[in-house]
Amino acid sequence: MSPSEQRDLFPGALEIMILQSLRRQPMHGYALGQHIKQRSDELVLVEEGSLYPALQRLLKKKLVSADWETSSTGRRVRTYRITRSGARHLEDEVSSLNRMLKGIALVLAPAKT
Amino acid sequence: MRWLRWLVGTRQIDRDIAEEIQQHVEEKIAELVSRGMSTEEASYEAERVFGNVALIEERSREVWGWPLLDSLWSDGVYSVRQLRRSPGFALTVVATLAAGIAASIAMFAVIDRVLLRPLPYNNSSQLIEIKESGNKGVSAFGAPYMDLREWYERSHTLKNIAFHTYDKPTSFLEGVTGPVQINTPKVSANLFATLGVPPALGRVFTSESSDNVSPADARTAVLSDAVWRDGFGADGNILGRAIRINGNSYTVIGVMPRGFQFPFNTEKPQIWIPIQLGDSDKRRAKNETPEYRIIARLSNEASIQAANAELKTIQVDVAKQYTDAHARENVTSVELRAYSDSIVEGGVKKALLLLLAAAGVLWLIACINVTSLLLARAAARQREIAVRAALGASHWRIARQLVVEALVISCAAGALGVGLAYISLRLFHNELTSSLNFAVTVTLNIRLTCCLLGLSLLSAVASSAWPAIVAARAAIDPALRQGSVPGSSKSQHRVRRFLVVTQVAMSLTLLVACGLLLRTIFAMKHIPLGFQTDHVIVADMVIPSYKFAGRNMTAELYQPLAERVDKMPGVEAAALTTAVPLGRRFPILFEFAADERDPESVRLEDLVAQFRAVGPGLQKVLGFRMLAGRFFDEGDTAGSAPVVVVNRAFARDYFADHRDLSKVVGEELVSYGDEKMAHIIGVLDDERQASVLEQSKPEIQVCIPQITPKAGFYQVTEGLAMNLLVRTPRDPGSFIPELRETMRSASAELAGSTFTTLDQVVDNSLGDQRTAARLLQVFSGAALLLSLTGLYGLLVYFVAQRTRELGVRLALGAQRGQIVWLVVRQAGEILFAGSVIGLALSYFATRMLASLLYGVKPYDGITLTVACGLLVGAGLAAAYLPARRAAGLSPIEVLRAE
Repeated sequence: MSPSEQRDLFPGALEIMILQSLRRQPMHGYALGQHIKQRSDELVLVEEGSLYPALQRLLKKKLVSADWETSSTGRRVRTYRITRSGARHLEDEVSSLNRMLKGIALVLAPAKT
Repeated sequence: MRWLRWLVGTRQIDRDIAEEIQQHVEEKIAELVSRGMSTEEASYEAERVFGNVALIEERSREVWGWPLLDSLWSDGVYSVRQLRRSPGFALTVVATLAAGIAASIAMFAVIDRVLLRPLPYNNSSQLIEIKESGNKGVSAFGAPYMDLREWYERSHTLKNIAFHTYDKPTSFLEGVTGPVQINTPKVSANLFATLGVPPALGRVFTSESSDNVSPADARTAVLSDAVWRDGFGADGNILGRAIRINGNSYTVIGVMPRGFQFPFNTEKPQIWIPIQLGDSDKRRAKNETPEYRIIARLSNEASIQAANAELKTIQVDVAKQYTDAHARENVTSVELRAYSDSIVEGGVKKALLLLLAAAGVLWLIACINVTSLLLARAAARQREIAVRAALGASHWRIARQLVVEALVISCAAGALGVGLAYISLRLFHNELTSSLNFAVTVTLNIRLTCCLLGLSLLSAVASSAWPAIVAARAAIDPALRQGSVPGSSKSQHRVRRFLVVTQVAMSLTLLVACGLLLRTIFAMKHIPLGFQTDHVIVADMVIPSYKFAGRNMTAELYQPLAERVDKMPGVEAAALTTAVPLGRRFPILFEFAADERDPESVRLEDLVAQFRAVGPGLQKVLGFRMLAGRFFDEGDTAGSAPVVVVNRAFARDYFADHRDLSKVVGEELVSYGDEKMAHIIGVLDDERQASVLEQSKPEIQVCIPQITPKAGFYQVTEGLAMNLLVRTPRDPGSFIPELRETMRSASAELAGSTFTTLDQVVDNSLGDQRTAARLLQVFSGAALLLSLTGLYGLLVYFVAQRTRELGVRLALGAQRGQIVWLVVRQAGEILFAGSVIGLALSYFATRMLASLLYGVKPYDGITLTVACGLLVGAGLAAAYLPARRAAGLSPIEVLRAE
């Protein structure tokens, strides 16, 4: 699989997953990657590096903030937090995502039965 | 802000990204190691899972900037670095492209100045020039006042009709530091309104009545910006100040804005004075009523065709008002043309456009050369490009890098090209000025800048498109494989061959065009002129005639000057003349007044003769032949009987009876004032007067020492430019300063005369053809050189590519001659194909040239043969070095190197 196919599910999906993860607790890049991998039962195969451009996009839109901190393991890490506008953005995105999933489910439903 | 990046170095954002990515990878490794992996395995696995570190870093950074601009910038920096690493290549491509760009820019600068530059008038496309026409063709000036008055009153298509004239080519403004040469057009009161340009300071002439002349302003003047600045230091209180022009006093009433000039093509700074009408303007009397030049403005809705039709109708009535039947025949119609068209002759325009086309061809050849070089370079850089592709660079990215590199090259070439264009315009200044009548300079205006940028951009795209596509599509694996020889495919070699063939074909076309023009120049130079041009110095004198008002200029200035110059060491002969043969001077025309009742004199009305006042030494200077009688000599003085000399054309036209030329001598011809009649004392052989291509026109010459204020011709010659011709075997370089001193001692202003040689005057008179030939020599020479470089490069490459094969051949017993033949055959095929295509191209190209040619047909066998021979000969010479290199290969070394 080439990187471009694997990187993203659909435009913005990775960002939503990052924001959702960060709402639970602030995290640094590596932890974020591990978190998404575990939560998705490793179904979403994300190239670890592809987190970083997505994080920069979120930073630029001020949906997350970042600070250098020292982790519990004594490592210097850059911790990301969701901002207030990030939380609002997440809600909007999730609700529109839900609507879309519902729509897709409805379209697919007859075929299943 | 992003722009500052390269100034302040890496930004904080970039450092953060780099650091956290590094931390990420380290954390991953640590985790993997803790699970039991070896450090080496762990670091490999971490990087595999993470993805392409450099690429991800770049994508992360791109979020923060203008990614395209940013990466273009880094491409640019990379290109500069690459080019600096191979200065030979960089120099070659930049110089090649610069030559093409310089030629195009220089030609465009000329065309911009001559054809595109908007006239400094409001809505100048509405301005037209009107001239009467009839039996004798189009009037040299325009029309007398009575006629233009009638147009003015009856026309609906013309908003305004202004008229102007000037009686002296040079006037003198008496400045603080001595007299300054100026040009003083006399203009009607509505001229500035017609042109739609208000003064920058003060006012222009006003007219109370509808006749558009301003008697109240008779002694006033309007200054041009140039005169105001240079002559009066841009004095803000200039209005109302009295100035002296040609000894007369005028009051300044206005200053025109900067850049305004009228008439348009004059070199000297201008001062405008108002036209005053005399009694003769109220009549239509031949040889008495002055004719004016006319500039009119079309009404907003009228077209030039409509105005033409309307004026032609009006003119029918105007012509009826001429009582003199003969004069009526000469004003039966009118000719209208846009004022902008009147400034540049059609021939010049055509020559310039042809030269622009030639420059464009040269540019194309240069681009092709660069394409070929870039192709070769891309082939040599195959491995580098493959590595970039393997590291994740997209096709587009690789292609873009090459285009950016070409852009860097063409920008450098553009900068160099402007410099070269500037220098070449300086070198061709004399030619251009003499064939265009005004100076051309490169001033970077909007149009020229756009042209330059466009040309540079186009050069980059044109020359790099092919190499970029080829490089982007190249397969990665073979280039990366160890030990593979980086080299181009067969198809690429074919492409380069095709490019060189195109170059050769285009060069041949330019060579043929150049050859035809050189043949034309050669033919023109071998037309017998009727006089000798070698070793003659020409001084174009500026005569301050106003100083001699009321005095006898002939006795006080001309005669003493001629005598002084005659006594100078090394002078064989010297003479004054009002016109230098083939010089660019206003001809003075002589017409006979007719008596209606005498049919013979009516016939003579059609005889227009050139008029020249000359010194008796002229025959010794120019060495022309007399067909009968004698030329003027020292015996012809103010006191002796007045005499004239005519040429054969005059004798033929004047005496209808085809009499023997010796019978012409002794005939009375013209009145010389004081009731005295002048006799013809000699008949000149025909000579070229205005152009080497024109047959002799009828001509009358009078003797300068005989022109006293009492003689009728004194008034005519008084304000004229006068030339001094000196025959001397001495070197012009050392003689001219001495001559200038001698002239200064006669009158201070004469030191301001301009000097040249008669050979130069004749050369200048070849005008369009000579300019075109000179420029084409440069263009086709450059084109030839470029295509030879292209051919040479291709052959060197050919030999390098096949070194191994050639080595094997030699080892197997091939003769050196056969190897040479192999290379030469390559060259021969290309040259042959190029010549055939080039000949076909020139067949069409030279047809456009036809109007510039003289004494040679557009499809001239000799020219074609010589051009082909030159091209093939030079091409084979270019093939010699690669061929010798190939033949000199040592098979042992070649095979050992494998």
